[in-house]
Amino acid sequence: MTGDEILVAARDLRRDYAMSAGVVHAVRGVTLDVRAREYVAIVGPSGCGKSTLLNLIGAIDAPSSGTLAIAGQRLDGLPDRDATLFRLRRIGFVFQRFYLMPVLTALENVELPMSEAGLGKTERRTRARELLAYVGLGERLHHRPTELSGGEQQRVAIARALANKPALLLADEPTGELDARTGEEMIALFERLNTDGTTIIVVTHDEDLARAAHRVVHMRDGLIVDDRRR
Amino acid sequence: MILALARASLVRQRARTLLAVVGVAISAAMLLDMVMLASGMRVSFGSLLLAQGFQIRLAPKGTLPFDTDATIPDASGIVQRLRARSDVIAVSPVLGAQLHVEHGTASVSAAALGTIAAVQGDYKLLEGELPAQDEEIAANDALLAAVGAHIGDTLRVAAGFDPQLRAYTGQRALRIVGRAHFIYLSAGERAMALPLATLQSMEGSSRTDRASLLMVRLRAGADVEAARAAIERDVRTVSAISTATAIEQVEQRLSYFRQLAFILGTVSLAVGFLLVTTLVTVSVNERLGEIAVLRAIGVRRVRIVEQILIEGSAIMLVGAFLGLGLGLVTARYLNSILAAFPGLPEAIDFFLFQPRDAWVALGLLAGCGILAGVYPAWRGASLPIAATLREEAVA
Amino acid sequence: MTAALLLIAALSVATQGIDSLPPRHSPRTVAIDERLAQDAGFRIGDTLVLAATPGGAGDTVIVSALVRRSRDPSEVAKGAYRIRVHLDALQPLVGYGDRVERFAVATRGAAGADSARRAIDEAAFGFRAYSSHEIAVESSTTFLVVSRFHRAIGVITIVASAVFLLCIMLLKVDERRRDVAALRLMGISARTIVRSVVLESALIATLGSVAGVGLGALVSAFVNWHYQRVYRTPLTFSLVTGEIVAIAVVLSLGLGLGAGWLAAQRLVRRPPLSLFGR
Ligand SMILES: Nc1ncnc2c1ncn2[C@@H]1O[C@H](COP(=O)(O)OP(=O)(O)O)[C@@H](O)[C@H]1O
Ligand SMILES: [Mg+2]
Repeated sequence: MTGDEILVAARDLRRDYAMSAGVVHAVRGVTLDVRAREYVAIVGPSGCGKSTLLNLIGAIDAPSSGTLAIAGQRLDGLPDRDATLFRLRRIGFVFQRFYLMPVLTALENVELPMSEAGLGKTERRTRARELLAYVGLGERLHHRPTELSGGEQQRVAIARALANKPALLLADEPTGELDARTGEEMIALFERLNTDGTTIIVVTHDEDLARAAHRVVHMRDGLIVDDRRR
Repeated sequence: MILALARASLVRQRARTLLAVVGVAISAAMLLDMVMLASGMRVSFGSLLLAQGFQIRLAPKGTLPFDTDATIPDASGIVQRLRARSDVIAVSPVLGAQLHVEHGTASVSAAALGTIAAVQGDYKLLEGELPAQDEEIAANDALLAAVGAHIGDTLRVAAGFDPQLRAYTGQRALRIVGRAHFIYLSAGERAMALPLATLQSMEGSSRTDRASLLMVRLRAGADVEAARAAIERDVRTVSAISTATAIEQVEQRLSYFRQLAFILGTVSLAVGFLLVTTLVTVSVNERLGEIAVLRAIGVRRVRIVEQILIEGSAIMLVGAFLGLGLGLVTARYLNSILAAFPGLPEAIDFFLFQPRDAWVALGLLAGCGILAGVYPAWRGASLPIAATLREEAVA
Repeated sequence: MTAALLLIAALSVATQGIDSLPPRHSPRTVAIDERLAQDAGFRIGDTLVLAATPGGAGDTVIVSALVRRSRDPSEVAKGAYRIRVHLDALQPLVGYGDRVERFAVATRGAAGADSARRAIDEAAFGFRAYSSHEIAVESSTTFLVVSRFHRAIGVITIVASAVFLLCIMLLKVDERRRDVAALRLMGISARTIVRSVVLESALIATLGSVAGVGLGALVSAFVNWHYQRVYRTPLTFSLVTGEIVAIAVVLSLGLGLGAGWLAAQRLVRRPPLSLFGR
């Protein structure tokens, strides 16, 4: 428990999907506060709305109702332009399937968000090298994703997520595609990131990963049913 | 970075990018050819008409120059009247006829133009002298070759046959004094120029003091249209035709080619457009996941649009440049086919390259390249990020 | 021909008040071009004065028939009107005496035509006999040139459509790369896959050519309608014949098979697993 300010403030957040078969209520009124430097794991059965909630927090999806503020910035009703800029500067996203650009090298993948943010060539190259060294990939800068193992790809993805020094790192099942050993390395990496000051929200059903977090939020049927800190 | 992505996605599918470029090149070549065809005739015919500086042509009332066998009576009187006008600096009467040159036991027919050598604008002397004196002619290479004659030789030439008397009519011995190139005749057509009076007398009473055509050169800066209208009012037996009208009339007759150019040009543009749109759309569809990821990590919509538009335009532009080269080659080939058009002056080009044409073709293609990317770009930029990523994960 | 053409000039100023030749028993009849009738508002039964030169002495005639131009290609672009006048009426009018410009000679069969030609050429001074075929060739040069031009354009179009088809087929097989990889892993033979791709491509090409023939027929009908109006001639400009349809269908089928086969090679040349990658 730290005395840091509230970074994520969600109030009665809802997300409905209008389907032909009827409306799906994926998130049905979530209220959640996350403080800076926290390490939160969201767990729960498949289909309970974890990813949907994470997408809302990451501003790649918009809530049907409720309010959401991150670092004082209201995200509900934010125009696409601003939401995009917000994602670029404040959010780092790590996906289960890495989602690297297949045509770019590891280094270029990490440089991509910095280039979009307008960083100079040498500056972003230096930082990309540092980041890849930080995640333990200093040797494989010029490899393309297809030439990297799953664990290595996920490290590149994490380096990319950290590129613009985000306020918040979001990860959706980051160990889902990895074998147990690589998964453990990833867990260690997340812990190190958090220790170094990154706020992390991770969606997982990997027990080990959840156990590593300082706070575990349980969801069921689109609602938070349990929220405990350790 | 975005450029690199656009380039990479083109390089990734090398075979089909290459094919699309080839396809666009062919369309572009066709487009350039059609743009050239649309304006080539007008331009080359216009410069041909103005080559000798005569802005107005007088033809027998209701006809076009040399379109019929009709002639203008009282040619010398009309010439005098026209000369009296202050805005006219030269008048060249021309009588056209078909003459028969004796060659062994047979005869060779040739087009003959009776002109006044000092003011004529129908031929260019290549060698020798102008046929200014009675019974002198300048012949073109085709005629010289056909009868095996040279400058200095004398030819026996007749205006016609009289079947009743079984004899040539209007026969003369004409001396070749010059070798000439006839501006308004088609390639390979045998021709000679001779003094107007000589030809009139050879042709007999039906051509006394007659001309097929009068060409009028105006003082620099004179109002051509005003002069044309005044002449037509003044001389009742002629139609006065300005260069612009003449071009228009030729264009009307050959309107088929302009319409064809328009239709084929449009079709080639449409084909190029379709090809690029299809290609870019498929390539974007294949990359929806990637695009969603780019958007998720904070890449702005305009960047996505940029990337896709660049992709389409790049194919178009590379294809266009190849196509312009190809187009020049095919235009020469097509032009050589149409050059065989009967009765068309040799100097007329259906396909005439002007830098403007290349710019027009390039502009149209570039516009199409951008347009071709519009739909896929819109699709890429407006896709729902979360849902697309989810679908990508399911696939 | 000369005389007939001369009349054009005359007619444009052939108004009342022109002196007529001394009247013969009764006015002769003429047949005029229907275009002339249309443009000048003449009708059958109208009385006209024909003159060889504008303002010259004329002959009073009655319009007894309207004629449509023949389907002669050489006349298509000519704007001149034609008037059919009785020979013995035309000769004095243009001061031709007992002269004609040409005779048409009917012969018995092709062999007869040749021998008659030879006989005429040898016997007559100042004549030259031509076969109808020679004249037809001469007068249709324009159209030969145009059709050569069309053929060249056609070749370019065929090359372009071959590239287009190949491109489409490549896109289609790329789209199904993963499905095909799965099929091949399941044990479906490369031959079967090639066959199905080729079949599909041939089908596309055939459907395309059928649509093309339909479109072509429509365009052709339009072209004929348009140019027959522009040039005011009954000449058929564009003709969709069975032969042309057959060529088009066979050609596109051939292109389709070729493009399909080439595209299919992309699927079967590579090991199935590599097809899964991007
Ligand atoms: N784009 C979508 N369209 C329709 N239904 C969706 C969509 N995304 C999620 N859902 C539904 O919302 C519910 C929650 O999904 P999700 O948040 O992915 O669950 P989790 O990540 O916890 O497994 C599921 O029932 C899912 O089917
Ligand atoms: Mg999920």
